[in-house]
Amino acid sequence: MSIDSSSDKTITVALTGQPNVGKSTVFNVLTGLNQHVGNWPGKTIAQKVGTYSHNGVTVSIVDLPGTYSLSANSPEELIAREYIIREKPDVVAVILNAAALERNLYLLAELLALPSPVVVGLNMVDVADHEGIKVEPKVLAAALGVPVVPMVASKNQGLDDLVAAIAGLSSGELPYTPKVPRIRPEHREVLAELCALCEEHVPQPYPAEWVAIKLLEGDSEITKMMEAHLPDKVWQKVHDILLAHEDAVIDVAGGRYEWVGRMTRAALVRPGVGQVTFTDRLDRAATHPWWGMLLLAGVLGLIFGLTYTIGAPLQELLDTYVIGGLSDLAGVLLSSAPEWLLGLVVDGILGGAGMVITFLPILVIFFAAMGLLEDMGYMARAAYVMDRFMHLMGLHGKSFMPLFLGFGCNVPAVVGARIIESRRARLLTILLAPLVPCTARMVVVAFLTPIFFGAAAPLVSWGLILMSLLVLAVSGVILNKVLFKGERAAFIMELPLYHLPNGHTIGLLVWQRTLEFLKKAGTIILIISVMVWALSVLPYGDVESSLLAGLGRLLAPVGGLMGLDWRMMVALLTSFVAKENTIASLGILFGGQGAQLADSLSGVLTPAAGLAFLVVQMLFIPCVGTVAAIKQETEGWKWTWFSLIFLLLLSFAAGIGVYQLARLAGL
Amino acid sequence: MLNKLLRQVARGGVHSTAALARELEVSEGLLVQMTGDLARMGYLKPVGDNCEEKCAACPLAGGCSIGGAGGVWALTAKGMRMTSDQ
Repeated sequence: MSIDSSSDKTITVALTGQPNVGKSTVFNVLTGLNQHVGNWPGKTIAQKVGTYSHNGVTVSIVDLPGTYSLSANSPEELIAREYIIREKPDVVAVILNAAALERNLYLLAELLALPSPVVVGLNMVDVADHEGIKVEPKVLAAALGVPVVPMVASKNQGLDDLVAAIAGLSSGELPYTPKVPRIRPEHREVLAELCALCEEHVPQPYPAEWVAIKLLEGDSEITKMMEAHLPDKVWQKVHDILLAHEDAVIDVAGGRYEWVGRMTRAALVRPGVGQVTFTDRLDRAATHPWWGMLLLAGVLGLIFGLTYTIGAPLQELLDTYVIGGLSDLAGVLLSSAPEWLLGLVVDGILGGAGMVITFLPILVIFFAAMGLLEDMGYMARAAYVMDRFMHLMGLHGKSFMPLFLGFGCNVPAVVGARIIESRRARLLTILLAPLVPCTARMVVVAFLTPIFFGAAAPLVSWGLILMSLLVLAVSGVILNKVLFKGERAAFIMELPLYHLPNGHTIGLLVWQRTLEFLKKAGTIILIISVMVWALSVLPYGDVESSLLAGLGRLLAPVGGLMGLDWRMMVALLTSFVAKENTIASLGILFGGQGAQLADSLSGVLTPAAGLAFLVVQMLFIPCVGTVAAIKQETEGWKWTWFSLIFLLLLSFAAGIGVYQLARLAGL
Repeated sequence: MLNKLLRQVARGGVHSTAALARELEVSEGLLVQMTGDLARMGYLKPVGDNCEEKCAACPLAGGCSIGGAGGVWALTAKGMRMTSDQ
């Protein structure tokens, strides 16, 4: 723009807009080298002032900081509104991004409530056009009642029109009849009352109605200012009104949003209407109430398939060659050591914590599959569709994630409940997590079902999983109704766009989760493994006369109701260290491993007792690692004991019920 | 508009921003701005916003970013009071 230093008349223009709308481009193109950069008084925020000349008029243009609104939320917002109110520029030029018009209009809604006339520079119309967004500048101008200039500042298009509009507005040649947003009717009388109370005392140059609106909005700066300026009695009245109408802020801001809605409906052809994006297409299935659940079931099936197909053989290899090899090595190295030391290393450490570590391949595959789904944006959808199911239990979809991880191991399921903000939902998730059949329980099921049910074993296995999930759902409903009184949970969730997964991100996630799991296996699980091993050999060195056996015999009467003798009860008890210990304990108590153990068990137990044992195993108290996690996550013993007693009663009641029914059915 | 948004959320359950935006006839961008405003006013709160700090050792810490950082919002007690009054 040309410079005319001899011109007599000078007008001041405040240039405003949200960040990243091209405001600086407009400022630079208009002022060229005639700009001065300093700081706003008392602030470290840059102040840019420049000049240009138009038809003999010198225009001083002040580039206000980019702001989203004119509340006192940030120093930038405070600077912008204080400048406009105190300096009263001749014109305020607001730059709006045509491609994000709806979001930009909120700032305009606030600017129109101030005394300076406003001209709209509708920037980036080329970007909007490219994105299929149609804005009608003339219609928008008519709806707003202010001049609207379409422009592409980066290409120097439309700036002359903006300059002309600024000149026309400052000289009064252009009409200016702004359609200002109004507060919703519910609080108009309150606003009028506040206006009447404050009018005489509002310091100049603040507009009284604007001050009253800001008071209703709870604006801290204006509240402080009016408290200082109002007589005590009047302030008390104002204060009482504000206290009684705390919710007025919703109506003030809501009025602006309704105004934004009216403007956009008038002048904007909504982007994407009629257009279906890739994410939309996928979400039609992924978030559909039924198709979404089916898709989720398919995804889960695929993950289980992969986990067991690839992970289970690896787990066996680790067990045979690493743990087995270490046990053999320990046997050789400790051949001359006391027997208790060999037992501690082989049965306590390797048989307990070592056995848990062999499940690492299964967990790694599980973590990787979860990481993949999370990274590509599917897990948010999974949580979304699971909400219908979770809601029956008073939970929300986010509980699905930790519970889902429980299929791998209950420990991360309990710890993972941390992602749930509500304490009630978090507690409920933690209490329900042990009812998710983990891989360790599934190993026991996979080993024992063929012994009792032969060819029907796969069907019985699936039946046991379904039973666990059904018990989980019913328990959830009951616990929610009895303990938590069915509090409401409500969430808004942004579903991210689908994108190609990033190998590095997934790798990092798997590494972090695996490391965490190993840390736990190497500390808590190791210590408890050793403790339980000690109980199984003390005081005389054999299981039959051990403290653990004594405890098992105490439980024998309960076992009798399910057709189980004390050895089965001890096997159950040892599963407290790690679920897989059940098989190892049965091997010790019944003598032999593999096929030999299978023969012994099928000879001793009826199918009805076998089924009862499997049911109890599925619902029994979780392993010690999970219990430790529950204590840690619930921050005390209260809920830990509740969980233990609840699961103990539940599992025995289910076992007794199933045994009695199975006997009636002739099993 | 904000009242309507709060009432929709207060029905319970998980609402996607896309579905809420459709119901309110606004763009998703504006809905995000509205949820931000409601949070500033104390009616909504972001879920898991300080999760990293709380869950340094959590194997599911990544889950906090479900839907993007700050992508999940819950009604506050003030928000629940407000909607139950209506």
